[in-house]
Amino acid sequence: MMKKKVVDHRINWPVTILLIIGCVTIFFPLYMAVIIAFKQPSEMTNDIAGALSLPSAFSFSNFTEAMRVTDFWHSLGNSLMLTIITVILTMLIHSLAGYAIGRSMARSKAYNFVYLYLVSGMFVPFAILMMPLIKQTAQMGIANRAGVVILYVVFYIPMNLLLYTGYLKNIPLALEEAARVDGSTTWHTFWRIIFPIMKPMHATVAVLTALAVWNDVMTPLVIMSGTGLNTLPLAQLNFQTQFGTNYNLAFASYLLALLPILIFYIFCQKQILNGVVNGAVK
Amino acid sequence: MKRCMKGKLAAGLAAAAGLSVILSGCGTGEDNGKVTIEIIQSKPETATYFDQVEEEFNATHDDIELIIDSPNDANTILKTRFIREDYPDIIAIGGDINYSNYLDAGMLMDISDYEGLDSIKDAYLDIDKELEFVPMEGVYAVPYVANAAGILYNKDIFDENGWEIPTTWDELTALCEEIQAAGMQPFYFGFKDSWTCLAPWNAISVDLAPSDVCAQVNRGETTFTDNYREVAEKTKSLLEFCQDDPFAYSYNDACTAFARGEAVMFPIGSYAVPQIQSVNPDINIDSFVMPASNDPEENVLNSGNDLQFSVMAECEHKEEAYEVLDFLLEDENLQAYIDDQNAIPCKEGDFDLAPMLDGMKSYIEEGKVVDYQDHHYPSEMSVDAMIQTYLLDDSENATDTFLEKFDREWARYNRDLIQKVQDYMEEHPDAE
Amino acid sequence: MKKKHAMGNREKTFLAITIPIVLLFFCFNTLPLIKGFIYSFTNFKGYGNYDFVGLRNYVDLFSDGRVGRSYLFTFKFALVSTILVNVLSLILALGLNSKIKAKSALRAVYFLPNILGGLVVGYIFSFFFTYILPAAGKAAGIEWLSSSMLSNTKTAWLAIVVVACWQSVAMNTIIYIAGLQTVPEDVYEAGAIDGASGWRKFKNLTFPLIMPFFTINMVLCMKNFLMVFDQIMALTKGGPSQSTESISYLIYQNGMGGGQFGFQSANAVLFFVVIVAISVFQMTVLNKKEEQL
Repeated sequence: MMKKKVVDHRINWPVTILLIIGCVTIFFPLYMAVIIAFKQPSEMTNDIAGALSLPSAFSFSNFTEAMRVTDFWHSLGNSLMLTIITVILTMLIHSLAGYAIGRSMARSKAYNFVYLYLVSGMFVPFAILMMPLIKQTAQMGIANRAGVVILYVVFYIPMNLLLYTGYLKNIPLALEEAARVDGSTTWHTFWRIIFPIMKPMHATVAVLTALAVWNDVMTPLVIMSGTGLNTLPLAQLNFQTQFGTNYNLAFASYLLALLPILIFYIFCQKQILNGVVNGAVK
Repeated sequence: MKRCMKGKLAAGLAAAAGLSVILSGCGTGEDNGKVTIEIIQSKPETATYFDQVEEEFNATHDDIELIIDSPNDANTILKTRFIREDYPDIIAIGGDINYSNYLDAGMLMDISDYEGLDSIKDAYLDIDKELEFVPMEGVYAVPYVANAAGILYNKDIFDENGWEIPTTWDELTALCEEIQAAGMQPFYFGFKDSWTCLAPWNAISVDLAPSDVCAQVNRGETTFTDNYREVAEKTKSLLEFCQDDPFAYSYNDACTAFARGEAVMFPIGSYAVPQIQSVNPDINIDSFVMPASNDPEENVLNSGNDLQFSVMAECEHKEEAYEVLDFLLEDENLQAYIDDQNAIPCKEGDFDLAPMLDGMKSYIEEGKVVDYQDHHYPSEMSVDAMIQTYLLDDSENATDTFLEKFDREWARYNRDLIQKVQDYMEEHPDAE
Repeated sequence: MKKKHAMGNREKTFLAITIPIVLLFFCFNTLPLIKGFIYSFTNFKGYGNYDFVGLRNYVDLFSDGRVGRSYLFTFKFALVSTILVNVLSLILALGLNSKIKAKSALRAVYFLPNILGGLVVGYIFSFFFTYILPAAGKAAGIEWLSSSMLSNTKTAWLAIVVVACWQSVAMNTIIYIAGLQTVPEDVYEAGAIDGASGWRKFKNLTFPLIMPFFTINMVLCMKNFLMVFDQIMALTKGGPSQSTESISYLIYQNGMGGGQFGFQSANAVLFFVVIVAISVFQMTVLNKKEEQL
C-alpha cells in the first residue's frame, strides 16, 4: 500500500518534457505573427530570415494604424455586443428547449421527432441558407444586428440542444417531483431548480457559443452589409484587397482581434476548460 | 406565485423589446429636405479619395447629400443588396463580366441623355459596347478611369545595362536571354494567386486574338482552339524566364521581389505600382506594351475600364445623380484620382499621367487600346485557375488539352447566354 | 386525478416552450432551406430574372468534372484529417491526463488554437508554408519540402490537413480528457493485478470505456471537416489548379461570387443529403461497436 502511493505521486517526466517540447508547435506560429506585426513593409523579404528575424524596432505604429483602419473600438463594441447578447439568449432559450424536449422525449414520439428535426439542422450547409436568408431578413426588417443575433440563436439550437438534453439525463427526476409536491409550477421549477443545476453546462454552451460568434465572418458579412456597422472579423477584411495586402498591418490587426479573446482566455482558462470538459462528459 | 411569474415574464419581454431597439439602431436617417444619392464603389483601395470627394461635394451642395460607400468585399455586398432589392443610386464598378450581367438583368439605367458623355473618349465607350451580351440601345455607364497592363520594368537596371524596350516577341525573348546571361532574373511571377496568371494572358491575347473573340464564339462563328493556341503557348513560354516555382509565391510576394530588384520585369497591370512602392518607395518603374506579335503594328495596349459609373434603373433622382457625376468628372477631381492610383483617365483633356505610364503614353493618346479578354469570361468558369492548371501541366499535349477544355467549359458555363445570343441572331438576321 | 392535472400543466408548459422554438427554427432554417431547394431547379444568378430548368442542374452536377473533383478532394481531406486528429488528440489526451508537471498550464496551452479564428490561423500558416518551411526544407536537403507545399497539386491538400488538424486537435483532446476522467481508478488497479500494461491496457481497458467519446469525436470531426471552408479561403483559394476546392468553397465561390446560384443550390442540396447519410452511417456503425464492447 505504501509503495503504491509513492508510485502514484511520481511525476512522469518523459511525458512532461515531450509535452513541453510539443508546445513549440502551438507557439511558433503565434511568434511569427507577432514578429510580422511589428515590422515595416520595407523590412519584409522573401526568405526565412525576413520572416523570423526580430524587427529592427518595436514600434506600435502598425497597431495604431490597424486600429484606425478597422475602427477598432466600434468594431470591438459590436463584436462584444453581438457575442454577449447571443450567449445570454442561447443560455436562456436553449436550456429551456433542452428541458422541455429532453424531459418529454422518453414518453412522446412527437418530441422525439422534434428533437431529431432540430438536431439535424446541424448538417445543413450555411451556403444554401445564405441567399434566402438575406432576402428574408431584409423583408422582415431585421437586416441588422438584431437579425444576426436571431440567426445565431437559431443556428446554435442543434448543438446546444444536444448538450443540454444530454446533461439533463444526469439530473434525477426526483428533484422536480419534490418541487411539484410543494405546488411549484413546471415553469417555476425550471428556473428555481433545473436552471441552476445546469450551471456547468451553461459554462460549456457559453464558451462554445462565444467562440463561434466572436470568430464568425459570414453571417454579419451578408446580413449586416449596408448598415455601416462592422465586427472585428469583418474589419479584418479591410486588409484583403486584391491588389495589395500590407501583411504587417494585417497581422497587427489579426493580433488586435485575437487579443480580447486571448485575455479573456488567460483569465478564465480554468472555467473554460472545465466548461468544455463538462460538455463532453454530459 | 403565478402573478410573480407573469410579472417576470412581462419584464423579460420588455427587456427583449428594448434590446431589439438597441440592436437595430436608429436605422433610417431623418428627412431633411435633401435628396440623398448613394454610391457604392468597388475599389476599397480608393476609399480615401472617395471620402474626400464625398466631403467636398456635401460642403458645396445644399440640396443633395452624397454618400459614397467603399466596402471591402464590394461584389458580395452589391449582390446582397440586390437580393434585398435595396439598390443604391449609382454603382461604380469595373467594366467586366459583372457589368455585362447587371446590364443584361435590366438593372442599369440608359443614360444616353447625360451630357458628360461627350467628353469621354470613344475607345472606352466602345469597350463598354463590346461588353453587352446582345447589342443594346443606349449607354449604361460613364467610364471614369482605365488601367493598363503590359510589362513593368526596373528603369534603373535597364539604363545601367543599356537594354532597349522590345517591340516584337523575338526582341522580348532575346532580351530575357540577355538578362539571364547577365545573371539576373527577367520575371518574377506570383502565380499562387491564380488571377495573376491572367495578367500576361490578357496582355498577350490582345495582340494575337480578335478583341471580340468571346462574342464570336457565342455566335458560333469560331472556337477558342482556333484563336488561343499562340496565346497559350506564348504565355507558357514566359515560364522559362522566371524564378523557380512561380506557383509558390503570391501576388504580394512578386511585388516585393520586383520592388527589391530581384527581377527586372513584371508582367502585370499598373494597379500593382502602389503595392510595389510600399516596399520600395524609391524604385524607378516604367512600363511597356507587351510585344506578343512579331509585327510591332499588331501590338496594342491592354487597357480596360477600371472604374465606371452606372446609374441604377431604380434611381428616382436622375437629375441629382447627373449632378454628382458632373462633380466626379471635374478635371480637378479626376486628376486627384489619377495621382492617387496611377490611373488613366477615360475623359478627353490634358491630364498629368504617372511617370510609370510613360512607355504606354503614345498608345493611350492614339487610342490603340483593347480591353482585357477576361472581362468577357464568366467568373464561375475560373479561367484563371484553368490557365494556372495549364501552366503547371508538363505533358506534351498540354496545349491541346487546355484549348479543348476551354471550348468545352465555355459552352457549358455560357449555355444560357449562347442560347440568348443565337435567339437574338435569329430575330435580327441582318445584325452584324 | 390530481396527478393527471399536474401532468397537464407540465405538458402545457413544455408545449408552450417547444412550439415557439420549433417555429423560430422553421422560419430561419427550414424555410430558407426549402427556398434554396426551389432555387435548385432554376438558373437563378442571384439577381435579375430566372427560369425554371427542371432537373438540369442535378443532371449537370453528375457530369461536371469540377464538382466531382471537389467531392473527391473533400472526402479525402475529411477522412485523413478525421483519423489524424483523433489519433493525435487521443495521444495528447493520454499524455495530458497522466501524472505530469504543470498539468493545467499545459492543457491551457494545447487548447489555445481552438479559440483562434480559422481565417486568421490560415493566414499565419500560409506565411509559414510559403517561406519558412521551404527554407527549412532546403537547409535539411529534403527535396519535396524545398518548394512550397501550397504550390504543388500533390501536397497542397496536406498543408490544409496540417492547419485544420492544428486547430481541431485542441477541442478533441479536451473531449478525450473528459472521457478519460470518467475512467475510474480501480479499473486500472484491477488491470494492474492482471498484469495489463501499455498498449494492451489502453486497448482492452481504457478505449472501450471512452468509446462514446470516440463516437462523438468521429461524427463531429467528420462533419466539420466535410464543411471545410475557412482554411481553404485563407490558404489556397482552391488552388493550385483547383486541386483544393472543397464543396463548401465551390458552393460559396460560384453560387455567391459567380452567377451560378441555382446550380450551386442543387449542389448544396446534394451535399446536405451526403453529410446526413455519412453521419447516420457513422453513428449506426459506431453505436454497434459500442454495444459489442
